[in-house]
Amino acid sequence: MSNQLENVIKQQQEQTDNLSNTEQKDENVVQLVGFIVGNEEFAVPILSIQEIIKPIEWTKVPFTDDYVLGVFNLRGNVLPLIDLRKKFNAPQSEFDDDVRFIVIKVGEELAGFVIDRLTEALRINGNTILPPPDTSMERDAIIEGIARKDDRIITILKINLLLKTDNE
Amino acid sequence: MDEMQEIMEDFLVEAFEMIEQLDQDLVELESNPDDLELLNKIFRVAHTIKGSGSFLNLDVLTRLTHHMEDILNKARKGELKITPDIMDVILESVDMMKALLENIRDNGTDVTDDIDIEPVVVKLDAISQGKNLSEVSEANNDSSNSQKEETVEVAAEDELTEEDYANMSPEEIEAEIERLIQKRAEEDRARREAKKKQQSENKNESNDAKEEPKKESKPETPAPVESKPKTAPKQEAKKSVPAKKVSTVEQTIRVDVNRLDNLMNLIGELVLSKNRLIKIYNDVEERYEGEHFLDELNQVVSSISIVTTDLQIAVMKTRMLQIGKVFNKFPRVIRDLSRELGKKVNLIIKGEDTELDKSIIEEIGDPLMHMIRNSVDHGIEPPEERVKVGKPEVGTVELKAYNEGNQIVIEIADDGKGMDPEVLKQKALEKGIISEKEADMMSDKEAFMLIFKAGFSTAAKVTNVSGRGVGMDVVKTNVEKLNGIIEVDSTPGKGSVFKIKIPLTLAIIQALLVSAQEELFAVPLANVIETVRITLEDISTVEGKSVLKLRDEVLPLVNMSDIFKIEKILGINQYLYVVVLGVGASKVGLIVDGLIGQEEIVIKSLGEYLKGIKGIAGATIRGDGKVTLIVDVAALMKLAKDTHSKTVVTASVKTKKKKEKPEDYVILVVDDSNTDRKIMKKSIEPLGFTIKEATNGEEALNILKNDSNIDAALVDIEMPKMDGYTLAQEIRKYNRFKNLPLIAVTSRTTKSDRVRGVEVGMNEYITKPYTPEYLANVLKRNLKLS
Repeated sequence: MSNQLENVIKQQQEQTDNLSNTEQKDENVVQLVGFIVGNEEFAVPILSIQEIIKPIEWTKVPFTDDYVLGVFNLRGNVLPLIDLRKKFNAPQSEFDDDVRFIVIKVGEELAGFVIDRLTEALRINGNTILPPPDTSMERDAIIEGIARKDDRIITILKINLLLKTDNE
Repeated sequence: MDEMQEIMEDFLVEAFEMIEQLDQDLVELESNPDDLELLNKIFRVAHTIKGSGSFLNLDVLTRLTHHMEDILNKARKGELKITPDIMDVILESVDMMKALLENIRDNGTDVTDDIDIEPVVVKLDAISQGKNLSEVSEANNDSSNSQKEETVEVAAEDELTEEDYANMSPEEIEAEIERLIQKRAEEDRARREAKKKQQSENKNESNDAKEEPKKESKPETPAPVESKPKTAPKQEAKKSVPAKKVSTVEQTIRVDVNRLDNLMNLIGELVLSKNRLIKIYNDVEERYEGEHFLDELNQVVSSISIVTTDLQIAVMKTRMLQIGKVFNKFPRVIRDLSRELGKKVNLIIKGEDTELDKSIIEEIGDPLMHMIRNSVDHGIEPPEERVKVGKPEVGTVELKAYNEGNQIVIEIADDGKGMDPEVLKQKALEKGIISEKEADMMSDKEAFMLIFKAGFSTAAKVTNVSGRGVGMDVVKTNVEKLNGIIEVDSTPGKGSVFKIKIPLTLAIIQALLVSAQEELFAVPLANVIETVRITLEDISTVEGKSVLKLRDEVLPLVNMSDIFKIEKILGINQYLYVVVLGVGASKVGLIVDGLIGQEEIVIKSLGEYLKGIKGIAGATIRGDGKVTLIVDVAALMKLAKDTHSKTVVTASVKTKKKKEKPEDYVILVVDDSNTDRKIMKKSIEPLGFTIKEATNGEEALNILKNDSNIDAALVDIEMPKMDGYTLAQEIRKYNRFKNLPLIAVTSRTTKSDRVRGVEVGMNEYITKPYTPEYLANVLKRNLKLS
């Protein structure tokens, strides 16, 4: 057990060493968590994420936009739950085993977001992130930038706009 | 400098507390000008503020209080009689003192262009007729701060000993003197240090030199103290007040409100956990009935729940303040008002020791003030008029607070001219607030409530006191904000009674849990007047709106599902539950689909993002960990009014298509064995039923949740993931499946299995093997198909 532990620690140590090496080469590395909503891959900064949980029951709240599923109880705190699939007009699928709630700190407030599935934690060189497409589309305002990894295109979201209602 | 800051803060807290009391005392003094004790009390306040003020270099404040003190001192010695005119000036100066203190609190200085004390000082001087004494002390005041301070303290000490003398044995006096001297020595040291620090900062060396010796000499020589009792006591005066009841003072602690709020939050969490524990116990009790450990668990759960409740009450009490804090303002208000309006009014205050949550105390002051003004302005008649109708010349306004259940009631009663419901209706009609029809249907009580409508004012002439058309509706809004209710009763010629009922606390409340379709809502119990069960025939329609005649009242009826726009999935039952809600002045009947029960809930905010949703005040977490929304009754009533005019309750329920033959029905077959499913299918499909299949309980539940067209289910008991018993239990949790026929089809044949089946909510229990005809008959019977 303790050997295993040591191994893990060692590995982590090496990893961080490696990382710090790469970071020294280029300090502008952003750490993101990638996830799928509909057919697209999105990402948010890893530090903005409080936790990721499996779906739990929620309570509907009247007079809200349809992508606001309601509120749920996260260890005694009542948090809003937003279905990113509805917000992004992605095709609606059932809540299968891959669906997760990502709890993100938006400004001072925590909120849960429903996503189809997680992909991976990403380390991306900030210099390679492209600015959002130059359109006046309302939906695009929420895009911080576009990143490429291998042959994937990942849309990085602006955290502070995630809770903006459409009519604001 | 920090020390000074601290002293300054302490001074302000103390000063504001004293001034609050001062107003009341002064008014009392006016009616009892010879009350020496009262005079002494008032004198000491002026004194203390002057003393502390001069120490803190608040020259303007010091100058003002100094002049006040002069007059009061003369009154105290009987050289001056307090007349109403003199009192006006004194009250004016008290107001100015307040303004100065507020300025100090906000800006840290009493030097401001907004407040000019000179005119008042001149008036004060004129009253004391510019006697020598005042000039002398004035001179003292200016010449040497430090000297004045000392003499003052010394004198106060003297005063203190004098006061206590009568009640003390010689030994006690000795001890007291000893104690005070010691205290004094310590305080002086501290003060000296503060002063020194300040002065060294100022580099004012000459002053320093002058002061040192004097100060030092004092603690060692208490004897000369007695020799100058005539000098005005200052700094120490404030100590003489609390010193009289040393024991009580030491039993209180000033606590930061944030800490109490934090404590309250923690208690809230505890209450939630307690609810959860009770819920778990109830579940366990069902399952392990008769087991020994249940007793023990029961004991623990009930003891925890009792302790939690006690703890909650205890913490709530720490936040409680006496309503006297608010009431104290009113004698002064009434006095000023009656002089201004030329009326004679006697204010009687009762129950000022009734306690209320701090947050409510802070909110209730303004509405009360307005209602009191209103009573004096509109209620009480001028003296001549009163005499004419045979009433005593002096009118009476009675302000009363008392507890009633979980609420506190504040009553404002006057013996004035009262209100005439017909006149009120007429007024409201003229102003277009109500229609002719509404006026006809209105009861007297409802008519009195008209005064709370925006834009309604009965005052024939507009005075600067009230009658500007704003006010009473604001009062109502404020009271509603506190989840309170206003009741009015009045007899023309005899007077009016206003009752404000507010809950004791805002953070943890009693709530009635109701369901609208599948969704639960918590309604604050304070606003629930009653719940009634009615039949569809009890609902009448007036001008296309649904109303309920309940005893002598006509209530507008609104379906909760309509208000919150919840999709209607339940059929309408023979019986309907109506929750009668009351807020401020109005009442509404709210149709709900179920009454779950009463529970203690902790209010949690919905957060920035979801705040301000109409009709929702917040959320709470219930025993099962689920979130339940708390209804904002005041806002709900507004929504109800909009909904009411649009929707007729009875018509709003979607009527399902009538089903007559097997082809109209969808049957869910739940079994993990493919063969068994086939057998069931074969038995009933030929009759024309549509069949859906599920291989385990979980799947079945999902199908049911997403498809509202299922009419019955045939359920196997032994299944992976979720067995038939659990499935039945889960299904019955939903309101819409309360009446869904569930038929167990199983090879379990023991009696206890059958009993269990009934317990979890199965309608029928069929054992394998069975004949196809039997199954079909049972199914048809349950679907009421012949």
